[in-house]
Amino acid sequence: MTTMKSSKRNALNVRAALIKSVLLMVLMCVTGLVLAHGERNQEPFLRMKTLHWYDIKWSVENDSTIQVNDLVEMTGKVHFFSRWPEVINKPSTIFLGNATPGPVFVRVETYLDGVPMIQSTGVEMGHVYDFKVILKARIPGRHHVHPMINVESAGGLVGPGIWITVAGDADDFVYSITTRTGTEIANLGSYAVPNVIKWHAIWATVGVLWLLWWFRRPLIIQRYLLVKQGSWDQLITNNDRKIAATLIVGIIVTLIYANNITKEKYPRTVPLQGSKAHVDVPVNKYAGMVTVKNLSAEYYLPGRTVTVKAKITNNTNSPIQLGEFTAANIRFVNHSVPAAMKGVDVGYPDELVANDSLKVSDQTPIQPGETKILDIEATDVAWETERLSSLLNDPDSSYGALLFFYNAKGERIIEEIYGQIIPTFID
Amino acid sequence: MKLTTNEATLLSAVTTPNSEAARIARGLDMFVVAILFFAIIAAFHIHIMLTVGDWDFWVDWKDRMYWVTATPMLLIFIPAALSYPFMMRFGLPIAGTLCAFCLVLGEWISRIVGFHLWTYFPYSMIWPAIVLPGLMLMDLVLLLSRNLFITSIFGGSAVAFAFAPANWPILAPYHEPVVHMGQLVNVADMIGYSFTRTATPEYLRFIERGTLRTFGGESTLISTGFSGFVCMILFFVWWKIGEWLTNLGTIPNVMKKHVGLGDDDDEK
Ligand SMILES: [Cu+2]
Repeated sequence: MTTMKSSKRNALNVRAALIKSVLLMVLMCVTGLVLAHGERNQEPFLRMKTLHWYDIKWSVENDSTIQVNDLVEMTGKVHFFSRWPEVINKPSTIFLGNATPGPVFVRVETYLDGVPMIQSTGVEMGHVYDFKVILKARIPGRHHVHPMINVESAGGLVGPGIWITVAGDADDFVYSITTRTGTEIANLGSYAVPNVIKWHAIWATVGVLWLLWWFRRPLIIQRYLLVKQGSWDQLITNNDRKIAATLIVGIIVTLIYANNITKEKYPRTVPLQGSKAHVDVPVNKYAGMVTVKNLSAEYYLPGRTVTVKAKITNNTNSPIQLGEFTAANIRFVNHSVPAAMKGVDVGYPDELVANDSLKVSDQTPIQPGETKILDIEATDVAWETERLSSLLNDPDSSYGALLFFYNAKGERIIEEIYGQIIPTFID
Repeated sequence: MKLTTNEATLLSAVTTPNSEAARIARGLDMFVVAILFFAIIAAFHIHIMLTVGDWDFWVDWKDRMYWVTATPMLLIFIPAALSYPFMMRFGLPIAGTLCAFCLVLGEWISRIVGFHLWTYFPYSMIWPAIVLPGLMLMDLVLLLSRNLFITSIFGGSAVAFAFAPANWPILAPYHEPVVHMGQLVNVADMIGYSFTRTATPEYLRFIERGTLRTFGGESTLISTGFSGFVCMILFFVWWKIGEWLTNLGTIPNVMKKHVGLGDDDDEK
């Protein structure tokens, strides 16, 4: 019995796979192969001056394997950049979710600063929000999983992603809820589907019978000539009229009857909910602690290096050091600052952390009240592989990043930096 | 109108039971019906996908206002235009039923293959709307009245009037209230939230966002009434477009003589 069931399932899988491969080939011919979810295809200015994700934690490790029905939790912070690109809407309408290849995970819960995000919301630029996304594995396969925020007019802006392999059988997936009226829904994905099929089948049968009623007669030549001759009594007979009249009554009675039994069965319904969630504007706890000014920035193409000259003033009362430069989800960490090194979790996606240390021209801490001009150098192939180098193709040649400073106690202060960026093409 | 001698001969030939002519005519019927079937699936399905689109794709877009108002209006174009040649050339009052059947068949194929097998969306999220009762009523009114005005008024509006009642029996279970994370939504909202559409976030939903207050919350009724009124006009307009396209006439085929054929009398 079990073998029969599984062999049937295998046959189904094979057929599905076949259909898919054919469709894939068609799709590839038409569009060319698209990788992952196109997170690298987004213009660098969009990725550098909109959202900066940090402190991202996943409840499972990168490249681990979980089972269908297992939960994955993503948490972290998302910073909405002050210098928001002119060409897209301010983030007054956004939606927190996940970037996965479609519904391979079910979105169980999402929160922005503790507020449930089943609806869309609006946020303020220049502020940092905590997010939490809980997903449930549904479809087996190796999936790239990111947190994502859709911003109206900008589309989906994705955070750092990890690879998760989902093992098991998609047929074992369950997601059950109970409605407010007490209906127990065993599986949300198949709920009330038999009823949908039943009504579609009923109406399709009526339609097909009606079409066959006409199709059984000689059609084109004979009827064309009869129309020309004006023999309408032969084209539409009394019998046809009687049946048509009966059908009109029958259809109307069926509709009324169907709605009456529906009303009895579902006396309490609510319309689709379309309100907007409200999230209080968080306090910027780093406000005024460090002043950062971009003096100049260059992108040195052959060396895949971004060099920034910045004027930094320490307004706190303890010395600080620059520990990290992060832009477009790529982290450049200063290896000589232990607190910054501690910020990179074991298992954090390798491709998102630069191999080489962030180079800072003066490693001595900036004293309280002191202003220093630092040359910051961020080198990594990521500029190329993450296609940030296409910065040069933007009509808006500017960059945006976050700077992480650490004091002696290991406390972190985060400040934005932004400015024009100038390319250097030759050695 | 009187038939020409040739036409009269042809008519008597094809109406003779078991004649060679009747057999050939039936063969032509089969051939044309098969082509028409696929042509209507393709044309009507693409039209509805491009216009009704997301409202028909997703359970959490099927609202009381836009879905109920827009769908019948967009549904009526092609069936109304086809009604003219079907009825006025062949005496067949079946354009609406045929279109409805072809559309829903095409939609189910696309939902099963494209939405479910290919991109994993569950069936509870992606079922298409039922459109047959309204379009069939339109045909039946045309059959009984054989009159453009009566069909516009009663048949055109029937497409809209039957739409919400035909779909409520399948939609109602999805409008049961649910409380999730302390928020009130309905099952359809919940399905839309749970099964990620990466490129279609919540705010993109074009749905009723506030009650049509002046009408005491009876959004479906108001939407249906308005849609019915517009459908009356649309049936008339698209019937006329169908008439115009049907009567465009033929262009003489000048290439004929190059392949050894003479000019036909009726092409001169
Ligand atoms: Cu990805």
